[in-house]
Amino acid sequence: MTVEQNLEALDQFPVGMRVLAVDDDQTCLKILESLLRHCQYHVTTTNQAQKALELLRENKNKFDLVISDVDMPDMDGFKLLELVGLEMDLPVIMLSAHSDPKYVMKGVTHGACDYLLKPVRIEELKNIWQHVVRSRFDKNRGSNNNGDKRDGSGNEGVGNSDQNNGKGNRKRKDQYNEDEDEDRDDNDDSCAQKKQRVVWTVELHKKFVAAVNQLGYEKAMPKKILDLMNVEKLTRENVASHLQKFRLYLKRISGVANQQAIMANSELHFMQMNGLDGFHHRPIPVGSGQYHGGAPAMRSFPPNGILGRLNTPSGIGVRSLSSPPAGMFLQNQTDIGKFHHVSSLPLNHSDGGNILQGLPMPLEFDQLQTNNNKSRNMNSNKSIAGTSMAFPSFSTQQNSLISAPNNNVVVLEGHPQATPPGFPGHQINKRLEHWSNAVSSSTHPPPPAHNSNSINHQFDVSPLQHSRPDPLEWNNVSSSYSIPFCDSANTLSSPALDTTNPRAFCRNTDFDSNTNVQPGVFYGPSTDAMALLSSSNPKEGFVVGQQKLQSGGFMVADAGSLDDIVNSTMKQEQSQGDLSGGDLGYGGFSSLRTCI
Amino acid sequence: MQRQVALIKQSLFDQGYLDEQFMELEELQDDANPNFVEEVSALYFKDSARLINNIDQALERGTFDFNRLDSYMHQFKGSSTSIGASKVKAECTTFREYCRAGNAEGCLRTFQQLKKEHSTLRKKLEHYFQLARQAGPKETARRPK
Repeated sequence: MTVEQNLEALDQFPVGMRVLAVDDDQTCLKILESLLRHCQYHVTTTNQAQKALELLRENKNKFDLVISDVDMPDMDGFKLLELVGLEMDLPVIMLSAHSDPKYVMKGVTHGACDYLLKPVRIEELKNIWQHVVRSRFDKNRGSNNNGDKRDGSGNEGVGNSDQNNGKGNRKRKDQYNEDEDEDRDDNDDSCAQKKQRVVWTVELHKKFVAAVNQLGYEKAMPKKILDLMNVEKLTRENVASHLQKFRLYLKRISGVANQQAIMANSELHFMQMNGLDGFHHRPIPVGSGQYHGGAPAMRSFPPNGILGRLNTPSGIGVRSLSSPPAGMFLQNQTDIGKFHHVSSLPLNHSDGGNILQGLPMPLEFDQLQTNNNKSRNMNSNKSIAGTSMAFPSFSTQQNSLISAPNNNVVVLEGHPQATPPGFPGHQINKRLEHWSNAVSSSTHPPPPAHNSNSINHQFDVSPLQHSRPDPLEWNNVSSSYSIPFCDSANTLSSPALDTTNPRAFCRNTDFDSNTNVQPGVFYGPSTDAMALLSSSNPKEGFVVGQQKLQSGGFMVADAGSLDDIVNSTMKQEQSQGDLSGGDLGYGGFSSLRTCI
Repeated sequence: MQRQVALIKQSLFDQGYLDEQFMELEELQDDANPNFVEEVSALYFKDSARLINNIDQALERGTFDFNRLDSYMHQFKGSSTSIGASKVKAECTTFREYCRAGNAEGCLRTFQQLKKEHSTLRKKLEHYFQLARQAGPKETARRPK
């Protein structure tokens, strides 16, 4: 729907509100559909969570609200909830026959804006439109300077504005309150002029992440970040809200990573996070199949090979990771192009996530490739789930990659150390993918050009380097995530960048622009790409990683999407060594949410 | 005829086979969806038959994976609730309690009971819908007095 259409719909609101209903029970679904129709909403139903995600990814603006059952066979309702919140920022209502407060709490913590008990009554449904309004209202309020959704700045704008189901709103409010004074000023200014919606492009996000890293995650304040970024027309408000999102993202990643990390080798994570230098130094046993995703989904590399590995349980992967995975991904350090090398690492896409820790993005890709079952990843890896899902649009290979991110994500979060540097990338990538899709192209584009891409990933490249490995490597993460964060379409990545990989992870899914950006394109199409990567600013670190990734066919394909970012993050980590697994990169932000 | 239909429906309620949820469903029935309730019922019985089958098989295996049984039953309960099949729902609850207690025998017994209730309800509803169709669509939409 175009913005105009959206606006029209809004005029009659709540009549015509577009709801997506998801429930595996046909009876309940039918009844729900009928109830919603009686409320005069426009209803779309599906009994599969995967399908729901696809529909949502296809067009974020097609729906205003999502109602989802909790118990579903193909995916946990909470996971879906997270993903939707992160990727699409739509309000989600949970539905269940479980009246146990624990479930309700879980719903709340995962970002649901409401929790209904079955059997649902029509009276309850008559009021659900309030969540849509509230969410939009909060968004507008929170990001004063970001134009309204009404501006119709585009998808990303809408996506941006339609933040959070619940958490975001709350946080935004908090932030809003904190910076009240400044906000007011900003508000005045912004009110005076036409509200410009700020599009967080990959580049911008990279700058943001760099600034955050420079300041130190803990100390990063919007004003300072703004100063460091030195971007014209960017207001403190914009930065503040972006920072908020970023933080949420990181938290999620860390949360997930923590859990995952348990599985993974903390050592591994740590190593990856800290030790990686340039390509992952991570001592990932090349041969170890466990490491999932290690092998970048190099195109050349037969997915099968990777797949095999990927399929290993993440746990295993993680273990294997313990051995310095570092190389894993990047094994091909010398040989960027050769990701296959990496492939040796078992990409744990689904479970492993953790393994990914250090795995450079390529791993992710591998996983993605192998793991066509993104959802699987998602399910298994809480973390990346988001990301993997994010890549439905990718080619199958990519898909597998996507799944990989999951693993990565997971890993990242778990151990600060453990999380493989690359891993974060993954996760982040995943998330990034989401984000980066928009941004995508930027992320991966082959080195030379990829400014944009690099931005995503690279963003933290340098920061990563010096950022001391915080447990979660927030810094790293941020850098890598920078991309994902950008909700704007990838302005960055020039498609050119991504030339190499058609398979580039174009995550075409949400992000329209840089479809090419394949977040995870691990497999570098060519060594060249990798070379390019390396040649690109080492500083970018992230970028470089990315590039490397890219060249290698690293998943980074246009990845404007999270994948890219993640990948880049991962790569960076690898190269940097710094990459803290934890830092999935901001891009992963959204995915992080899901991961958690 | 109409009165007969109404009476049958009333008795279903009185006997506890159906509860208010069923009434809610009837409310949803309108010109746009003249056979809504019947359709939903048909869907329910189809789905639940499948579930019952699954549970049967699981029980036959004799391994008594209570977690799985519990989750099947949860699903069953969910849809039974949605349609307003209160007796079936009650059996589901009992079954789940036995599951939680790890009482295999209790589960088996309850499940037999559940199947009985389920098929009884099915027959009654089929009969009811049949009459209702004969009586005329409007009648079915009317609430029992």
